[in-house]
Amino acid sequence: MHWWLSTPEGAAPATARRAAGSHDAVQEEAMRHNVFLSTLQDLAAWSRKYSIWPFNFGLSCCYVEMATAFTSKFDIARFGSEVLRGTPREADLIVISGTVFRKMAPVIRRLYEQMMEPRWVISMGSCANSGGMFDVYSVVQGVDSFLPVDVYVPGCPPRPDALLEGLTLLQQAVGTERRPLSWVVGPQGVTRAPLPSFRDEKRAERTAQRTLRTPDSV
Amino acid sequence: MLEESLWPLAVYVTAALVLVGGVLAASYWLGERHAERATGDPFESGVVPVHRARFRFHARFYLVAVLFVIFDIEAVFIITWAVIARDAGWAAFIEIAIFIAVLLAALAYLWRIGALDWSPSARRAAARRRTSVRTAPSTPPRAAPAAAPSLAEVGDEA
Amino acid sequence: MSQTHPHEHAPIPAAAPARQAAARDVAAALERRFGPRLFPSGARIQATADGIPTLWLDKARVPDALRYLKTELERPYEMLYDLTAIDERVRDHRHGQPPSDFTLVYHLLSYSRNEDLRIKVPLAADDATVRTITDIWPNANWYEREAWDMFGIRFEGHPNLRRILMPPTWEGHPLRKEHPARATEMGRYELPDERYVAETEALRFVPEEWGMTRGSESSDFMFLNLGPNHPSVHGVFRILLQLDGEEIVDAVPDIGWHHRASEKMGERQSWHTYIPYTDRVDYLGGVMNNLPYVLAVEQLAGIRVPERAQVVRVMLCELFRIASHLVFYGTFTQDVGALSPVFYMFTDRERVFEIIEAICGFRMHPSWFRIGGVAADLPDGWDRMIREFLKWMPPRLREYEKIALDNRILRARTVGIGALSTEEAIDWGVTGPNLRATGFDWDFRKKRPYSGYDQFEFDVPIAENGDSFDRCAVRAEEIRQSLRIIEQCVENMPPGDYKSRHKLTTPPIKDRTMHDIETLIHHFLNVSWGPVMPPGESHFNIEGTKGAYGYYLISDGGPIPYRLRIRTASFPHLQVLPLISRGLMIADLIAILGSIDFVMADVDR
Repeated sequence: MHWWLSTPEGAAPATARRAAGSHDAVQEEAMRHNVFLSTLQDLAAWSRKYSIWPFNFGLSCCYVEMATAFTSKFDIARFGSEVLRGTPREADLIVISGTVFRKMAPVIRRLYEQMMEPRWVISMGSCANSGGMFDVYSVVQGVDSFLPVDVYVPGCPPRPDALLEGLTLLQQAVGTERRPLSWVVGPQGVTRAPLPSFRDEKRAERTAQRTLRTPDSV
Repeated sequence: MLEESLWPLAVYVTAALVLVGGVLAASYWLGERHAERATGDPFESGVVPVHRARFRFHARFYLVAVLFVIFDIEAVFIITWAVIARDAGWAAFIEIAIFIAVLLAALAYLWRIGALDWSPSARRAAARRRTSVRTAPSTPPRAAPAAAPSLAEVGDEA
Repeated sequence: MSQTHPHEHAPIPAAAPARQAAARDVAAALERRFGPRLFPSGARIQATADGIPTLWLDKARVPDALRYLKTELERPYEMLYDLTAIDERVRDHRHGQPPSDFTLVYHLLSYSRNEDLRIKVPLAADDATVRTITDIWPNANWYEREAWDMFGIRFEGHPNLRRILMPPTWEGHPLRKEHPARATEMGRYELPDERYVAETEALRFVPEEWGMTRGSESSDFMFLNLGPNHPSVHGVFRILLQLDGEEIVDAVPDIGWHHRASEKMGERQSWHTYIPYTDRVDYLGGVMNNLPYVLAVEQLAGIRVPERAQVVRVMLCELFRIASHLVFYGTFTQDVGALSPVFYMFTDRERVFEIIEAICGFRMHPSWFRIGGVAADLPDGWDRMIREFLKWMPPRLREYEKIALDNRILRARTVGIGALSTEEAIDWGVTGPNLRATGFDWDFRKKRPYSGYDQFEFDVPIAENGDSFDRCAVRAEEIRQSLRIIEQCVENMPPGDYKSRHKLTTPPIKDRTMHDIETLIHHFLNVSWGPVMPPGESHFNIEGTKGAYGYYLISDGGPIPYRLRIRTASFPHLQVLPLISRGLMIADLIAILGSIDFVMADVDR
């Protein structure tokens, strides 16, 4: 199986950077192969990004805000994530909404293992991101101790709007991913664009704020 | 003539098999796979199940299945008669009427002896209760509160 | 000298004369019945800041004394309100108390007397065992398991003394003073394969450990894990079901998946910085959670809250009661199959949150109450928002009655299901709307008014049968009554301070620090170190959204609590599940779970 690195925009630059040699002919063939397959992969990524089905999983207070995001005012259905799955086999996304307890950690890992590829993880809330305000003996300080996290949503609890923003970020990431089309043939391995830090991206907008509305009147 | 009328059927069957086989093959070959420790285990709310799914079920499940089969086969017979009802005439009608009457009697008997009752007796007893909500007078005592509607006492509409 | 209101420094008397007399009466009755050996050497009656009669009894005789108090005493103490312990080994201010390493605290409640009683039992560290009282009060079962789990106190004769909050593989007893509090003190958490396999296996349910048989003559029982990840258990909660087909033969509720160590955290936070942790105990209750805590602290220090602050507190608590009951209403109807009403109810809840966000600054966990008052004054225009809400809600409630409570399917699934009698409810420690649904007229806002509730006109809905439908109907009616209270708050909001000017309320109002040195010193100390509460014990109980909700604080004269006990309503409510669901079907259990209205953070803290 031939394995190589590629950037999301197109395979040509990366393979062109490879040293010349006996692999040239193979790479020529692979490049042609790759353009077709990568188009298919992009198509699959595009279709995945608009139908990320979350798993019905929640731990604490953040779960109530997640449930609120499913209701009419915030309406997660318009992002394609309406169908809440009861079993991890059918779910694409697990939102770790709430505090990760030591007693719960093996359960969460078990559920994650029972999810089918492709699967993504949103860590929602301070407790899931880092343990939050609960630096105590029974709480895992961040779900990324044992799960790979795709998007971190800060807040305690994050507003439903914040969760939806996290979901749109995940959709952007999913839309630019390249995943293997088949576990038998074709390119294997997941290609991802590096995820931006919103702290940096929003810094300019935030530091430009000069007038903040006082809470003295509504 | 027989071969002519069979061609569309053969094509149809082949198309169905190809479609089903194709979808199964595609879903087997496509997509990613992973095999972690718990991936193949049955899902039971995130913990290990207590036991396997093969054990001695209560006979009432079998009873329901058998009753279904009986009345389903009854329907098969009735449909078979219905196809030739007009041609078979009154004699066949009387025969099928006797057939249905016998099975109706059996159904009535099953109903009476409780073979069709699925819920446990405790639940049926509990469900025969009434319900009501009233508001307690606030202290100090006042006139009857106007803001509290009384949900009328309603018996169970079982 | 700073000008303070003359009443602000008047301490609330340590024990009002009537309550001290009650303590002496009960002590005298016990001595008549059991003799003087019932009381260990040292003071038998302890005076506490909350005035609750507190007696010290000897551990060998305390189960008999408790049985006497429950069954034989005239106007008995019917309910076991709480059972907890205190690790006294590093406590300084224990004047007049018998020597004790671990003190077991039984907190009883008498409905007939409208009086509490606290029984304390001194235990030595090398002999921390006492006889169980599960034969007297069935709800002692889980409380004793918690005391074992958290302190290592053994209860002889307990049917199944095992850990309840911590994982079965845990070593150590967390609320002991030597147990580490912080996760960062315990090394980085990792889940390698061996640990993962070991913990997963430890969570496997073994029916024989609970006295369950695997099958009858004709069939095997199915053992099903309902949870910890299940949509119907409303959080991380596991019920082990022993099923005969679809019929529930027995059920074992398994909790501890949501243990956030709020009590241990209380021993590490200052009196002021603990307030956000209270929000997260009953996470649907918002500032309602702050209330028993700040009231207990104010009681401890003798801080009087100005009227405006009291009315603001009442108003916000009732808003959060509505928000919590709306969640209950929506999820309950969703549990029995109606998928639309929950969207309507959550929309109403959004309107509540708009008001709360405008006043408090945040939606779910505002942490807005402060010791001595509230964090800030009400913004201009607050009454307009609330009046709009008061106009909006009543027609919605009538509509919900039509689509939910009058719905034939909902009635068929909930009427008569999971019925609890008043005697059973009191025996099992059920409080709040679940108790009122059984026909018992008890609401702490009426029976023991706090924060000015005696000035409000409102009714308390009572039902008769204590089944799932009644529990829902009672809460639906309570929303209406809360609207009534809020309307009265809007019409009669008193002017004045939103916070006490007592020197211990943190942080004090800044404008005064610029004028005199004493306030500046207090401000500096309070902001840097936190207020130092006088030593003592203070318990305060309110009518929370779920039921009786109390904080028991022990101060050792420092800036942080010595022991902080949270008595929540949902802990005993889950214990009663097997009693009311045996013989029913799984679908009925789902309806019952929805009707109990529990929150897992309220159970496990």
